[in-house]
Amino acid sequence: MKMKVGEVLLLFGFIGIATTMLLAFLWAPSVSINAFESPAAQRIFYWHVPSAWAAFIAFGALFVGSVGWMFKRSELMWRIHIAGSEAGLATGLMTVWSGCVWGAAEWGTPWDWSDVRLNTFGLLTLLAIYLVLGRNSQPDGVETRDTFAAFGLYGFILVPFTYVATRIWSIRHPGPVIGTDDGGSLNADMGLILLFGTLSFTLLIFGHMLTSMRITSFEQRIEALQIQLDGGK
Amino acid sequence: MARTLVEAVGIEVRRGMGVVLSNHHLELNQGDIMVLEGANGSGKSTLIEAVARLLPLEKGHISHGEHLVVDHEGRRKPSPLNVSLVLQKNGLLGCERVQEHLDIAMRMTGSTIDSTHFLEAFSLTHRASDNISNLSQGQARKVAVLSALLPAFASSEPCIVLMDEPDAGLDDRSMDALCGWITELNHLGHGLIISTHDERIKSLATVRHHLPDGTTTAVQNENHETKLSPQRPNSQQGQITPGQFGWNMQWRTLAWLNQNAMAALLTLGILLSLGELSDNLTEMQQLGFILAPALAAGLCGDAMVAMCREERTASWWYCVGTGTPHSGMLPFLLGGGITLLSSIAHTGSIELNTMVIGAILTGCVAHLLRFAQQSTERLARPQAVFIGLLTPVLILPYALLLDLLTR
Repeated sequence: MKMKVGEVLLLFGFIGIATTMLLAFLWAPSVSINAFESPAAQRIFYWHVPSAWAAFIAFGALFVGSVGWMFKRSELMWRIHIAGSEAGLATGLMTVWSGCVWGAAEWGTPWDWSDVRLNTFGLLTLLAIYLVLGRNSQPDGVETRDTFAAFGLYGFILVPFTYVATRIWSIRHPGPVIGTDDGGSLNADMGLILLFGTLSFTLLIFGHMLTSMRITSFEQRIEALQIQLDGGK
Repeated sequence: MARTLVEAVGIEVRRGMGVVLSNHHLELNQGDIMVLEGANGSGKSTLIEAVARLLPLEKGHISHGEHLVVDHEGRRKPSPLNVSLVLQKNGLLGCERVQEHLDIAMRMTGSTIDSTHFLEAFSLTHRASDNISNLSQGQARKVAVLSALLPAFASSEPCIVLMDEPDAGLDDRSMDALCGWITELNHLGHGLIISTHDERIKSLATVRHHLPDGTTTAVQNENHETKLSPQRPNSQQGQITPGQFGWNMQWRTLAWLNQNAMAALLTLGILLSLGELSDNLTEMQQLGFILAPALAAGLCGDAMVAMCREERTASWWYCVGTGTPHSGMLPFLLGGGITLLSSIAHTGSIELNTMVIGAILTGCVAHLLRFAQQSTERLARPQAVFIGLLTPVLILPYALLLDLLTR
């Protein structure tokens, strides 16, 4: 059976992520025991940061899809909205879950309600759950699409808010390790694995979204055929 | 020349995955009885709901009395005319009383008339003080129909009367009365749009509007020589606001006790059961404990939203009133009361400032939740949406509030 682009990207993404994990556990240098309570747990960062990056791409797609549906009524944009929310849910959960594991080891608590970035990211993930479950509970139609696209737009306000939260209100969550004025705090090997992990997650997320859009397209075609069989237009 | 009451220009309305009305035009003048004709699914109800400002337009616009009320760019403005409505669902709450609902409907026009004659004709006199929930489906339908007719009879200004299958479930005697009142309203200069499959009502039409093609045919109608009752004396009455209505219904049903107050009391009980664990709290943590029941009460939202979904009551209110029913000041009072209780339980003293903060917290959170709940009203199954998943957004502001108050 011939593989589609989305499935190829998914496959390469999975292989890349598995390789990243191997490199993270077997090759990445250890961090200083003075700087961390739990240095071994720091290795989860090679999963956590790329998945957060992928989540931002997914939420970006959700925003583009929501805007596109609201203003253009485009079927393609609605498919992007669906793909963005599903991919955002998957990567959001990956990020939150890995963050909780690291927080439990490093801070002694998996969650801190007073940390703005943790909470805004957690909320983004809840928004993705809300969109996915909510949409599945409703028949497809313009009312459903308008409502969830509007929630997608509101939710996107949280993306830039989450990004800057670490810089403005950082309480516990570590600040950015790349893209800072001082060039970042990573050594070359760590940076290389992180870059590889980020590329792998990027492939995964685009593969996920393309596959999701294809499935939605199939669903829409099936629904159109059902309406035809019902005697509709 | 008769005044134009409703004008729909090139409207397109989508429902579900289909376009129900496309490039549709409609004009209703004073003194018209417009009957909408067409097969099931041709768009009769959709047209009535669009004219009632309940549906967004993809294209075109609708005016009431030459004032734009809804257009394809999302503008929705209140109608300058009195609009009365009966949808396929009755728009009634089970806890409302028959006479009370009719009075509310009439007061939307600013005046009321004696409804005794109408209740007699519909055999509802003995039910005037009864709860709607005690009526049969046919009786409830009669109340819904009267709530569309009476405001027009009470109003001295031309009204737009919108009725979607008013004949559903009505017996022969009631149909005779209904046909007589429709003709009477026509003579009084009101404009009626009626969707029906009933031949008796169809025979009253002065204009027939066929769907889905949108063709309109004027009808010469001999039935109009009906003997008219004298103009009914009316008395001036102020409108009841959605907040007043919500307040009344909340007290009658005690829904707030079941929903918001119980959540608050349970939270308070759980926190108090911590016993010694809560003895060595910081100032911020203690304030967090005191205000937690107020937050829990607010997070339960407004019980009126769920109540108004029963029979599309929110849609009825949106069309004929000034907004959808809500609990108004009740969450603020509840928040103040529960914080007072919590404050006494935790510290043994009454702190007025904390009480005010608790009141504001519950009130703001409850109304915020109401807006979120109401934003899903257009969905086919609004009750199936997981709005609670979004409530953690309020925890961070709560934490920041505590931080601010204890600095």
